[in-house]
This record gives sequence, structure tokens and C-alpha cells, in this order.
Amino acid sequence: MKKLLLVSLCVLVLCVTQAFSQNRTITGTVTAKDDGLPIPGVTVKIKGTDTGVPTDASGKFTISAPNNAVLSFSFVAFVTQDVAVGDKSVINVSLAADNKLLSEVVVTSLGVTSEKRTLGYAQTTVKNTTINASSPIGLLGGLQGKIAGVSISNVSGSPGGTTKVILRGYSSLSGGNQPLYVIDGVPFNNSRLGSDNNYDFGNAANDIDPNMVDNISILKGSAATALYGSRGSKGVILVTTRKGKAGKPTVEFNSGVSLTNVAITYKPQNTFGQGWGWEFILSENGSWGPKLDGVTRAWGATGAGTGATIGNKQLIKPFSAIKNNVADAFDTGLELNNSVNISGGTDASKYFISYGNVYSNGVLPGTPDLYRKNNFSIRQSVTAGKFSVDVSLNYANNKRNVVQTGQGTNNSDTFYEALLQIPTDIPIRDLRNYKNEFFNVDNYFTPFAQNPFYALAENGARQTSNRFYGNINMNYKFLDWLTLNFQQSADVSGVYTKTWLAKTRPSVGSWNDGKNVESSPLTPTPGFVQDATNNLFEYDSKLQLLVDKKLSTDFHLTGLTGINYNDRGSNGLSTQIEDLAIPGFYQINNSLNKPSSAHGYSHKKQLGFYAQATLGFKNYLFLTVGGRNDVSSTLAPGKNSYFYPSSNLAFVLTDAFDIKSDILSFAKLRASYGETGSDTDPYNIYNTLTATNIPLTFGNLIFPLNNNGSPVAGYTVSNTTFTTGLKPERVKDLEFGGEFRFLNNRIGVDFTYYHRITQDQLLSAPISPGTGYTATFVNAAKSENRGIEFALNATPVTGDFTWDFTYTFSRDRSKVLALAPGVDRLLLNSAYDAQLVALVGEPLGVIQAPKPQLAPDGRIIVNAANGRPVQSTDIQTYGNIQADFKMGFNNTFRYKSVALGFTLDYSKGGKFYSGTADLLGFVGNDPITTYNDRNPFILPNSVVATTTGGVTTYSENTTPIVGGAIPDFYYQTNNKGYVYQNLILDRTYFKLREVTLSYTLPKLISSKVGASSAKLSLYGRNLLTWLPASNQIVDPEVSNLGSDLGSEFGEFRTSPPLRYYGASLKVTF
Amino acid sequence: MKKHIIKTILATSVICFSVTSCKKITDINISPNNPPVEVATPQVLFPSAVQSTAGRIGGEVGIIGNIWSQFTTQAQLSNQYKDIDTYGMTRQDRNANYNNLFAGALTDYKLTIEKAKAGGPIQYYLMATVMKAYTYQVLVDLYDQVPYTEALQGQANLQPKFDNGYDIYKALLAEIDAALAATASSGDLSPAATAATDFVFSGDIAKWRAFANTLKLKMYLRMVNAKPAEAEAGVRKLYTDGAVFLTGAAGVSTYVNVPDQGNPMYEYNIRRLNSATNLRASVTFMTWLISNGDTRKAAYFGTATNAIHQGDFNATNASQPTYATAATLVQNATDPVFFISAAESYFMQAEANLRYGVGPAASVSYNLGVNAAFAQVGATRGALYPYPAAGTFDQNLEAIIVQKWASMPGSHAIEAFFEQERTGYPKISPTNSKDVANYIPGQWSYSIGGVTANKAFPKRMVFPDSERSRNKNTPTEVPITTPVWWGK
Repeated sequence: MKKLLLVSLCVLVLCVTQAFSQNRTITGTVTAKDDGLPIPGVTVKIKGTDTGVPTDASGKFTISAPNNAVLSFSFVAFVTQDVAVGDKSVINVSLAADNKLLSEVVVTSLGVTSEKRTLGYAQTTVKNTTINASSPIGLLGGLQGKIAGVSISNVSGSPGGTTKVILRGYSSLSGGNQPLYVIDGVPFNNSRLGSDNNYDFGNAANDIDPNMVDNISILKGSAATALYGSRGSKGVILVTTRKGKAGKPTVEFNSGVSLTNVAITYKPQNTFGQGWGWEFILSENGSWGPKLDGVTRAWGATGAGTGATIGNKQLIKPFSAIKNNVADAFDTGLELNNSVNISGGTDASKYFISYGNVYSNGVLPGTPDLYRKNNFSIRQSVTAGKFSVDVSLNYANNKRNVVQTGQGTNNSDTFYEALLQIPTDIPIRDLRNYKNEFFNVDNYFTPFAQNPFYALAENGARQTSNRFYGNINMNYKFLDWLTLNFQQSADVSGVYTKTWLAKTRPSVGSWNDGKNVESSPLTPTPGFVQDATNNLFEYDSKLQLLVDKKLSTDFHLTGLTGINYNDRGSNGLSTQIEDLAIPGFYQINNSLNKPSSAHGYSHKKQLGFYAQATLGFKNYLFLTVGGRNDVSSTLAPGKNSYFYPSSNLAFVLTDAFDIKSDILSFAKLRASYGETGSDTDPYNIYNTLTATNIPLTFGNLIFPLNNNGSPVAGYTVSNTTFTTGLKPERVKDLEFGGEFRFLNNRIGVDFTYYHRITQDQLLSAPISPGTGYTATFVNAAKSENRGIEFALNATPVTGDFTWDFTYTFSRDRSKVLALAPGVDRLLLNSAYDAQLVALVGEPLGVIQAPKPQLAPDGRIIVNAANGRPVQSTDIQTYGNIQADFKMGFNNTFRYKSVALGFTLDYSKGGKFYSGTADLLGFVGNDPITTYNDRNPFILPNSVVATTTGGVTTYSENTTPIVGGAIPDFYYQTNNKGYVYQNLILDRTYFKLREVTLSYTLPKLISSKVGASSAKLSLYGRNLLTWLPASNQIVDPEVSNLGSDLGSEFGEFRTSPPLRYYGASLKVTF
Repeated sequence: MKKHIIKTILATSVICFSVTSCKKITDINISPNNPPVEVATPQVLFPSAVQSTAGRIGGEVGIIGNIWSQFTTQAQLSNQYKDIDTYGMTRQDRNANYNNLFAGALTDYKLTIEKAKAGGPIQYYLMATVMKAYTYQVLVDLYDQVPYTEALQGQANLQPKFDNGYDIYKALLAEIDAALAATASSGDLSPAATAATDFVFSGDIAKWRAFANTLKLKMYLRMVNAKPAEAEAGVRKLYTDGAVFLTGAAGVSTYVNVPDQGNPMYEYNIRRLNSATNLRASVTFMTWLISNGDTRKAAYFGTATNAIHQGDFNATNASQPTYATAATLVQNATDPVFFISAAESYFMQAEANLRYGVGPAASVSYNLGVNAAFAQVGATRGALYPYPAAGTFDQNLEAIIVQKWASMPGSHAIEAFFEQERTGYPKISPTNSKDVANYIPGQWSYSIGGVTANKAFPKRMVFPDSERSRNKNTPTEVPITTPVWWGK
């Protein structure tokens, strides 16, 4: 590469020297490569001289230069371009934006901007164009695989669903691993109340319209985030929104139209059909029947025998597997993403107004997953002498329909749970008409599951959220180096959620009333409706003094000191009834039963004092020292004030040693150490009673309970015991790194090593039930993260055709160093006998489940009676959740006004549990269940253990798995020791994450509609997914187990991920 | 200028501090959602605790009892209780009973007793003590050893030691005696003070005393194999002291057919599962009922007469065409949960007379017991099951215990399992119930799906993982087939 550049340079020089010298007038226009807009103020200079002119307001220039001259076009934030004059009289240049610029100014702590070179820690900024390349509707949906050390995944396939963001791996065992979102200097609530394992209402950071974001800056280590206080300890995502630009009003339209479909689904086996135990049984919800033979057979409910309600009718069809059966359960979704921005004003008063609208109807038939969003924002900046003020007002409105995933409640199946149980030969598409006499509640083919489309259409959840947020930010510049800043924000939202489940009861005498071939009735479901409102509030005040002063020729001081007061909380009320009086009418008083209500209030205050100073020496050595002291309302008096320091050092080698080389353009080393203290949630220090709700494994007894006609109230001592002795949790973060640029900045390398200790973690630790409690809330756990991040960006080809790429690599190893005293194992999540646990000395997030007992030679010990493996006494480790590494590869090719980009994303290693695989194994749909063609088999490599007189001997196993024991072999109730290897899967994936093709329309065309520029893009997201052969069941990124550490356990019958493809148009007037 | 800045900062800090002092900031940290533990009263704690006991022992423990006592078996081609029916439960299975009895019921009884002793009403002292003893008795009988002397201390002792079942029994008997003494002559013991919150006896303290005495009788009888002398002395003392025993049931019979308000086994097994037909009649019990012409059959299983051989859930329809229509256990939301039933009280009195000659004749109590057992389900006894007055001790005991067994399907079934382990009745069948020619109806037949070594029946639960993984004092695990300390 270097050679190629040198050769071209020589050729250039050769050309120049051979030309004649004669001055001529040259004119031209300079435009920006990515949007085609003219750039005013570009310096056009004759190379090697001091002669130069700037471009005017429309990007035009006129200069007199000799034939043999080379014109150099340079402008801040763009790559300098040299053009030989030759015999040209018109030179039009389009400059490419420079993402690797030396004097890049970035947003750091508390909304303060700093020169990137002064930072002693890793920092990544992504710009609007990258964020919105594929028109995502969520804030970070377009950044997957693009930033080292940042893991972004869409956990569900529903529009507006949660985007899970984790910076530098997991460190908190209690699940508080989310970064803090900060928008224009103020904290932004990211939690969406109402979401749980079954319903995903999305995360609240997606309330921000990505179209109005100017850039996102990601701060990962404590040295970078310490000034944000407790909440910054897991990293900060700084969102800076667009501001008005002085000048005549410009109007920008963004319009994106996407189609969505299911990216990947499981593929059932296609050898055996409906039934159980090789027997064809019309009412079975499994594929344990005979071999599919293509012979036409009856299916579904029959009226000939006992199912009186359909008369003497019967469906028939060939007994054969159906192609694309599962994928056919889904439709193609449509997503429209439109926004308009208006910007303008004078230097003294600028405005920016934005309106965004999203309509997204997902892949489920009908509108059970419809998502609509409106965003309206106004920005106004006013400057009057030394005083300036910015005001930002925003309104975000969401309406969404959400489908339940996971395990059904109140006897009703969820759509996905019902889908998994459909035999391989039953056409899922036909079942869509759930009111049809053969597919309705009375006559759906099995009483053991519901028609999935019934569940989809008749059960549901709906949420409406209205959010107002904004801030006023005032600055008074006492002196040119001293500014007083006051910022006050408010973020209030009201969320209304309604959830309902249908009342279902098969008609008397119908197939599913027990008149099926198995005499099994469908358990009626009583119907349920819940109304919940939640109000969230957050007020943040900040008063700070900012200093920026050149102390002498060598020393420069920047710094700030301030006070921050934060007041936030939530207030929620929910009411529910069960057993509807009138089916299908979802109103809180539509029941014989009294509604039950719950109120939850949470309130927290924090006061922080902070100061930070950066001393720069000769613009190559920068030392930053800072500290913050927080006072929190959630810890006990006397223990609730805590201080934590941070410091970092940046050393620009190239400037320090005056290296002016075309090969090494820039070199900087970084080192930082920072601490953060964290408090806990409200109400975690005093023992309480709770209203009594007795869990019965399935179902509950809920007080008040009847006592001879009178209700009795009950309160019980909380199962968690608390203490006022809690101290703040502490994160200690050490980081080293460097930035290097080569060959005139065409190649850039950034690497980081970090080591983080998170100690005195506040969490609810399980304790012996013999203590009278099941958990104690304590300062206990300690964890360690070590990791490396590496980013390489390069421009291998420049000129008319350019190729830019960024390669990122990250690896995080997280280890548990300690848990509570006497506790060496902490349960983080579980499903049946599989558990996600933290074990002292092990990587954070070990997946354990039963395994077979092994003979000393490694062979599997089986029970002589039934030939099935004998289960290990304890559950054992299958692996952990951590990926060995993650890689991203981002490419952009540009030719004139056409740009093609694609992103590859690779994550290697780790394990997860699949509740989908669990059910597929049970019903015989998983291809692994066709082992040995379902003929009787003796478990390979197995032995029988015989103990006589204390001596155990092992002999060859001769007991085959036969008959009904074959289905049992694939389900956990009867073959725990063996089956979990089928359910704990490899987390590896390789994805073609994004492809974009954009074309900037020639001015000639765009000006016809009065536009100054127009850009058309085609894009696709999540286009292709490769999974390892051992996991052909489910995408490891999806999870319905939340969006924090617990979600890494895996999934429990969740929705499949989506693929997006579409087109967008951006027009500026 | 610099001085000025410092002054400004200081002034601002002072203002902020005085506006929101550190004290004030923590004032908001008292939960408005849950009351502080200090405000607890016996009136809210005791009913919670009673329902926790009823919810677990009459719920999932009852399901284990129904299967292990061979009243029912897991339905064919269905799955819910296979771990129980194969005797394949491990330390990870069914932990919630243990967890909730300790953290739910026992903690609340403990605090109720403390509050009642400190401020009354003093009746709660006896009521909570009896319920605590009953709850502990079931735990001891299920697990053999559990924490007692160091238990229920919260953070003060995170690793409570386990006590031997016998030691816990002795301590519980002493606790009951102390509570009986403390409430023998205290001031106002009228029902008014506790009636509203007493699901068991509506505040009738005399009935609580009878419950206390009957529970003592049960615990002494449990010891007849392991501690025969103590058992005999304890039973005799009850009679010499003129103890009054239960003549009606001690239990909760106030459940209604409203979601989350019904009988716990019904809520669990019927209302909340997607199949209400998991518990099907076992051939063991069904053949016994039919061969005896027992009129309770309809109450237990309805009109259907087909049954499934114990643990034969993997049989195909082709091989066992009657399984699909096997009778299901009749359950209703309003079914009671018995802690001790009237029949059980009489059968224990019969056994006391049979063993030690105390109290009314065994035949008298036996007949009262059988009558009560039929009355319990609204059936008529007729001339069924006469007492084998001329029989041997073993024949008499078998008659008493088998009748006790037959009175216990439903929410009280775990006691039938305990009694078989203590007495050996009903007898273990030497042959499987499928061996129709040789099988004697009612004899327990080893589960066809059973996974234990040497076809041994389960005798206990293994210590739960929730305790083992958090408490290093948990005893070494022994097989599920190891008898508990009082086992025969």
C-alpha cells in the first residue's frame, strides 16, 4: 500500500516538473463528497507558495496559477486534496470528510467539548450520516458492529423493540450494566416501565429520533465518565442533537421505506409427522407419529365420531412435510420513517425545528405488532454579548402493540409457544383463519395448545407513551477564559399500558371439550385485563464554572467545577381483573371478581460536587485530574456521601519529538485511572413487610383471602432482608491506549487495554432459606474485566474511486472474584434445570445444567433399567456466555456520487440456553430427534455401573431406548442428564449487518425541484446470518429475558429476528 | 478575580447544602410501597403464615403425596409430574416447598409469636406455635434434618446448622407445651379477638388446644419405631393429663372458586396448568376402591373406572387403549386443606389404644374414623370395612392405617405417604399391578417409570439445592430411598 502511494506521488511530481510554467486563471466549485453541498471557506492554495484564496458562500473560487502548479484544497474536517492544474481552466473538487482529523473536537463529560488529542482515554464519535445510513428507527440500531467494545443487539423481532447496549462487557452481577444516556448534557431515562420477560415495550432511549442526532460520542472507562457520577460507571452514551445554522432557512426531508421479514427461523425435521409413539393421533401436538409417507389422510377435528360441532366433516391432506412451514406464519412488514428538519436564523439567534414520524407494522399477520412514533423538537440558540442561551424542547409520542413471548400465562399459549408445537405435516398458513370451524377454539386440532393465530389476534398488549423533555442551558462569559454555565433539564413521561388475555372455553361436546381421540379437554382460560399507568420524572440541575486559559506559551489550562442536583423517580399504578364476565370486552370492571391493584412509587435524589482540570504542556502533553463527591438518598445517613477521583494523561509523541513524517503522521499514547462510586436503588436498606402473595409453583394465593365470607388481609415479612450498613459500590478502571496514523493519515490505528474492578457490588444475594429469608441485600460481589479494543481504519484507494474501511476487534473477559460471605454461587437466571450463575473464580455468566455421570474412562453411565444416562448429582458447567471476541468490518466504496457500504459482524464463542430448542425437542420437531430414524437404539459409548461390596464395576450397556422412552429421551423431565446438551447452544454468529448504496443526484436534477441536494439510498440491515452447524434453531442475539446480564442466559420461546431492506431519500432545500 | 470565583463557589455550595441537607435527602428513602417490618401485627402475619403452610403442604407437597401414596399417577403422554412419579427428583427439583415454608410461613410464625408474647392477643402465641410445629413436623418428615436451633435468624446467622429430626420433635413438643401453659389461664381468650383472622377455627381457642394435643399425639406416634419409650410415655401422658383431641378437622375450608382464592392444589393443578388431567387414577387405589365396592370412588374419581398403572405414562395408546379415558382426580376450588382431619384424629386415637391401651377402645375410634372419612366426602359407609376385632396387632394396625390412607387423597395426601413409611401399610406389592393374576388391590406397586436402584420406594426428599448451595452446614446427600429417622 505504502509503495503504491509513493509511486503515485513520484508520477505526480514527474508530471509537474515536465509542465510549462505560465500563469492562468482557474475557476471552480468545491463541494462535499457525501452530500454534494458547496463548501464555503475552503482554502485553495498553490502548493509550495503562500498564495491562496478562500471559496465563497457558494463554494466557488477564482485563482491565478501557472500550468505546472498544484492546487491544494484544504478545509477543517475534510481530507486535503491536491490537483495538478495542467491545461485545465475549471477545476471542480469534491472533498471527502476526514474522520481521522487531528484537531477533531469531541464532546466529553458534561457537554464540554475538548480537542480529542487532549484525552487520555478511549473515545469514539459517530456522526449523523453513519447513524442513519440505513434509516433505523432506533437511536443505535444502525451502529451494530461498527464500534469496538460496544455490543449492540436488537433483542426482539418486534418494531420498536429493545436495543440492548453493553459497553465493555458485563461487570455488575445485579444487572445494572446499562450505560447512561446523556442528551445535550443531561441524563436521559432509558428504562421503559412495563417491560418484562414476556412483553417488550422497547427501551426509552429509542424515544430520540436518530434523524435529529448530530453525533453520538461513546465514553467507556471511568476516567471518561466519572464526572457523571454513579450512573456513569457502566459507560456513557453522549447524544448531541443538531442545532440551527445561521443563514437562510434550509429544509431537509428524510424519508425511508423499509420492508421487513423474518431473518431466520428454525426448520423442523421433515421425516416424521403428527402423533406420539409412532402412532398417528389426530389430536396430538407433536411430531412423534409415523413416517411421513405422502398418503392422503384425515387431519384435525373430526365430526364423524364425537366432535359434534362440525357435523360429519373432515379435513384431508397428504401426510407430508410442508416447505417453509414456519416462515409462512409470518408476513412482510412495512416500516416508514419520515422526518423534516428546518434550520436557520442569524448569528445571534438560530433555530432548528424537527418533526419525525415512524409507522412500522411488523411481520406478524394483522397489527399485533404495530408501532407508531411521533417526535417533535425545537431548538433555539440566542447569543447576546457575553450571554448565550440554548433552549431545547422535545415531545415524543409512541403507540405500540406488543405480542407476548415466552411461556403463556393463565393457561393460554403465546403465539411462539403455540407455533413450536405444530406437527411438521400441518400447514401453519391454513391455521391463520382461526375463526374457521376447523381451526377455532372448539376444533383446533389439539387440546394441548392453542391456535397460534388465535393467541395473536385475541390476546395482546398496547402501550402509549407521551414524553416531554428538554433543557435550558445558559452561559455567561465573564472573561474570554471564564464562563459560568447553568443548565436545568426536565424529562417527564406518562406511559399507559393495557394488557389482555382472551377468555377461552370450548363449546360443550366439541373436539376440544374432551371429545377428541384422547378424551383430553382444553383447559379453559378465564380471561384477563390489566391497566397500568406509569409516570416517570427526572429533573437535573447543574451549575458550573468553566475555565479555558493559556497560562504561558507552554501551559494551557482547561477545567470546570460545579454542582449537580438530580431528582428522579417513578409513580405507577396498575389494576387487573381475571375471569371476564363478557368475553372479548376488556374493561377493568368486566368480571365477577374484584379488581386487584398495586401502586409502586420510587424516588431518589443525588447531590454531586465535582471539579476537573486539564493542564496542557506545549500542546503535546495533557494531564487531567478530577474528582466528584456524591450524596445519595438511597444509602443510610452517614454512609451516603462518597468521593471518587479520576485522572488521565495524553502524550502526543509526534509533536513532542517533532516528528514530521509522511509515514508516521500522528502518534499519541494514553493512560488513565478512574474510580466511580455507585449507590443503590431506593428502599434497599430497611426491612419491610409485603402484601402476601403465596406462590404455588403454578398459580398463587393472593390476599385478601376469604374467611367465611369476610376478607382477611395478610402481610408477610419480606423474603429479602436488608441492612443500613451498605456502602457505595465502587468501580476502579485502569486504561492504556494509543492512537497512531500513518501515510498522511490514510491509515489509523487505535488500541486500548483496560482493566476494571467492580467491588462492593450491591446486590440481592441468595441465602439459606433456613435463615427465614431467601435473599439478603448486601455489598458483596467483586468482579474484574480485562479487555482489548482495536480499531484500524484506512483509505486504501483514493481519487475518483475511494475505498475506506474500518476494522474493529474487541475482547472482554469478565471474571467473578468474590460473592457474598459464604456464597460461592449466585443464580442470575434459570429455566427448568439450566441456570446462569456467577461462580467465584470463573468467568461471569456460567451456564450450568445436569450432565450425565461418567465412568472413569469417560463413558456415559446409564440406568440399567431404562438405558438412559444417570444424571450427575449436581448441575455442571457447559460453558459461559462470553464471546471469545467480536469483530466488525465496515467498508465504504465511493465513485463520484455513488457510495456503497457494507458491514460484517462476527462474534465467536460463548454459550446460551434455548427454550425454543427445549420445546422443539419435546414435541419432536427438532431435527436431532430423528436420530437413528427413531428406531430403538443403545446410547453409544455407554456403560452400566454395578456396585458390589463397595466396588463399582462397569459393563457394556445393553439396554436400548425403545418405544415411549424415545420421545422422553429428548425432554428434560425424564432425561435431564442428557438433554441439556441439545438446549445449550453455541453463541457464535456471523452477520452481514448492513449494506447501503447511495447516490447523490446531480445538481441539475435536484435543482429542478428547487433542492440544493438530494440523495437516494438503498439499504438492508441484518441481511444474512450464518450460524454454526450445532445451532440451527435460534439467533443467539434475540432474547426475551430482558436487556441486561440475565438476558445473556438465552431465550425462552421468543420471536425471531428481523431483516430490513428499503430505500431512503434525503432532500435539502 | 480568583478570590471572587472561590467565594462564588463557596456561597453556592452553602446555599445548596442548606436547601438540601444530607439528612433531608435521605428522608425520602422510606418505602411508600411496603410497610416497615416494625408495624407488623399478629392480625396480618398469622393469616399469611397459615395460608403459606396450607399453600405449600396442601399444594405441591400434596401433589407429591397423591402420587407417592399411589392415589394418582402421571397422565399418559403428558409430562407435568414425571419427576415425582419416577422417584427421580433431585436436589434441584421442587425446592419451592422448602423455601416458602421457611421464608414464608415459619418467619411469620416466629414474628407472630414474638408480637403476641409482647403485646397480645395472647391466643396468637398458641395458634402460631401449633402451626409452626405442624409446619416443622412436615419439613422434618420430608427432609429428616432441617435447621431449627439456629434457624430464622436472618443476617445474624447466614449458615444455620441442621438439627436431627428427633431433636426438633422434642423441641417442638416443648414449644407446644409452653404455649399451652401460657394460654391456659390468661385473661380474655374469647374468640372475638382472633376470629376474623383465624382461617382454622374462627378464634375458638379450645379447638386450638385440641389441635395442639392431636398434633402431639401424631408426633409421638411417629416415634414408635425410633424412640419407642419416649413415644409411649408421651402418649400416656396426654391421656393422663386428660387431653382433648380433635373431633373435627383442623384445616382451611374457606376457599372459594375465584382465581387465586381457591384450594391451592386446585389453583396449581387445575386452574393454572394448560392440562387439568395430569393427575389420573392409579390402578393401585382404583382397584382397591372397586374391589371393596367403596362408595367414595365417585367423590375421588367421578364415574370413570379406568386407571393407569403407577408410573406407566409412557405407554402408547395402542398398548393401553384405556389410558386415554382413565379417571382424573376430582378436584374443586372449594376443597379444604387439612392439617389434621377428623378421621386422622380418630385413627390415631385407635392406634394409641391398640398400642398402649389408653383411651377409648380401638374399635370405637376406628369406626368413628371410618365414618368421618366417608362423611368428609359426603359418602355413606354402610357396612364397609368392619374392624377386625379378632385380628392380631398387625392386622388391627393394618386396618387402621389402610383406612387412614384411603381417607387422604387430595390436599392431605402427604400424610398417607409418611404413614406408609412409618408402618409399612398399605403393603408393598411383590409384583407389579400389571400382573393382574397375582396383584392384590391396594398394595403399592413400584412405579413402572421408576429410576431408583433395586426398585426401592422413595422415603424422603433430598436436601434442596437452595439450601445446599448457600449453606455449607447442609448434611451430605443420601439417596431419596433412605428412610427418615422415624422410618420403619
